[in-house]
Amino acid sequence: MSAETLSGAARAHAERLRGDRLVDWGGMILTIITFGFALMAVFPLYWAVVTSFKSETAVIASGISLWPESFNTEAYEHIWNNTNIGQWYINSLVTSVVITAGVIISSAGCAYALSQLDFPGRRLIYVLILACFMVPMQALIINHFVLMAQFRLLNTWAGIILPQLIVPVTIIVYKQFFDNVPREFREAAQMDSAGHFRTLFRIYMPMNWGVTAALSIITFIGAWNSFLWPFLAATGEATMTVPVGITQVKDAYGIVYAKLMASAVMAGLPVALLFLIFQRRVTQAVMLSAGVKG
Amino acid sequence: MADIVLKDVSKSYGQVEVLDRVNMHIKSGEFIVFLGPSGCGKSTLLRMIAGLEAVNDGEIHIGERRVDQLPPNQRGVAMVFQNYALYPHMTVRQNMSFGLENIGTDKAEVSRRVEAAAGTLEIEQLLDRRPAQLSGGQRQRVAIGRAIVREPQAFLLDEPLSNLDAGLRVRTRVELAQLHQRIATTMIFVTHDQTEAMTLASRIVVMNNRKIEQIGTPMEVYSRPASRFVAAFVGSPSMNFLPVQALEDAAGRVIVKAGGVSIPTTLAMSAAPKSSGDLTLGVRPEALRVAEDGEVNGRVSLVERLGDRTLVHVTLPDGTEVVGEDIGKSTLEAGRDVSLKVEGSEIHLFDADGVAYHAD
Repeated sequence: MSAETLSGAARAHAERLRGDRLVDWGGMILTIITFGFALMAVFPLYWAVVTSFKSETAVIASGISLWPESFNTEAYEHIWNNTNIGQWYINSLVTSVVITAGVIISSAGCAYALSQLDFPGRRLIYVLILACFMVPMQALIINHFVLMAQFRLLNTWAGIILPQLIVPVTIIVYKQFFDNVPREFREAAQMDSAGHFRTLFRIYMPMNWGVTAALSIITFIGAWNSFLWPFLAATGEATMTVPVGITQVKDAYGIVYAKLMASAVMAGLPVALLFLIFQRRVTQAVMLSAGVKG
Repeated sequence: MADIVLKDVSKSYGQVEVLDRVNMHIKSGEFIVFLGPSGCGKSTLLRMIAGLEAVNDGEIHIGERRVDQLPPNQRGVAMVFQNYALYPHMTVRQNMSFGLENIGTDKAEVSRRVEAAAGTLEIEQLLDRRPAQLSGGQRQRVAIGRAIVREPQAFLLDEPLSNLDAGLRVRTRVELAQLHQRIATTMIFVTHDQTEAMTLASRIVVMNNRKIEQIGTPMEVYSRPASRFVAAFVGSPSMNFLPVQALEDAAGRVIVKAGGVSIPTTLAMSAAPKSSGDLTLGVRPEALRVAEDGEVNGRVSLVERLGDRTLVHVTLPDGTEVVGEDIGKSTLEAGRDVSLKVEGSEIHLFDADGVAYHAD
């Protein structure tokens, strides 16, 4: 093989490599697919927001209008002035905050006991919690309803909150994180005269702040968006949460799409903002908490 | 400061016995080192004194109090863990003051003790840092500082040097010895490193297979090991062991005979094992020196030059390998014939059960 042939082959190889670097076909296809899925996810949200700024006449006009001819805040004004949305916000906020705090504190305490303490029946309790994880809320909803009715807690914040405090998955996640904390930290806390509650709240929880942040946000979003149980537990407008309350908008005005979309946007806005603000924190927190550094 | 007394302390996990009737009296202010191989029960014993492991049988007394039923924080001891267990989300100051805050110590007193301990350990400039911002040696000091602020009756240290690199380990070892001299509080230190044990201890507790093999000063343990295990475990390089027969000379002293070589000793026949069968001669490398008039002949298989001395690995005619010593500037090389002189006053005999008999 001559030197000329060799250099020709090498040049062709280099060009091929350069060509591969210029056009990454695999990456391009994956990007297109991802973009397609993103579009599918975002479009309904976009459509809801755009519709909420249209007049009712523009909404029912023939043809597809991807952008309103004029921005109209009439739907929002109507929702704000003619419904109890202010009260629904308060109800949602109170119940979601209490549910989040309750779930985090009770789950962390339960997980600490299951992970760190040695007591009879510990394994059985954990198996039962795992079993509860497999039972959906819907399967227990009648029991919850009867129980809350017997306690006369329907149409109260407590009635909305109590059944939603049962979140086995949070206990399981916490237990896994607590299991990974080297036992020397608990022993050091013992030597430092810290009781179990102090050890949990001063050592274990801060050492796993990432998972606490992530679980808090996820629990809050879940509680805010929760529909079925608040729908059953709160029949009076005074105790309705936002997702339940917006069904009243539909009932009161028939199919009024702009107002319906405006109420949906108002219902989802706090949660969307929360997620946008903490999105990076949630991801980062879970990654950080995956390994506890000593 | 207080004495620590262990009476018939036993520990088992189910059917597995970890410690079997351990007895010990640690005097106030002593630096005691628990030395032994992995799995011998030394860390478990330390944890039992700390209160982190339950005692199945026996009693532990610290000072005048029986403490084996008390929780760790009521025993008056402080512990330094192998991985230090510094709370990662707290600053050094918070780590050191956490224990005092938990018992409701006055804030000014907490601050005074933290500053004093930081001064003793020269870590004042680190007080506002978090553990992740500290080097291994600094973390180790903080862990000791956390123990010091509690002003305990005894410090319990579970292999605290094992996470440090070789150089830092030596420096920290010296600092630990100096710290003990300054604060003069009882320290119990667990290690499997016999150099640490020899350099730090007032007394060494050599443990093996659930039991205490010997308690003694470093030189007692080194020069007069109670058993073959102790003789083999303490000292680097390890003691040489040769199967021998014991004979008596005209003066009533033992002559050991191995491979056709007779070695006179200063061990009285009356103090020697009664049975002359299954005897083992133990001799440390420094008592087996290269000399032209040596009794033991062999061929050099390996030479290790340590600077101040040279370790000479010698193969005897029967194939046994022994390690002897030569001067630092030894010219010996592998393959050469060599004679080794045995220092008869430094030999040890071990019977079939491993019990030691020492030359005077």
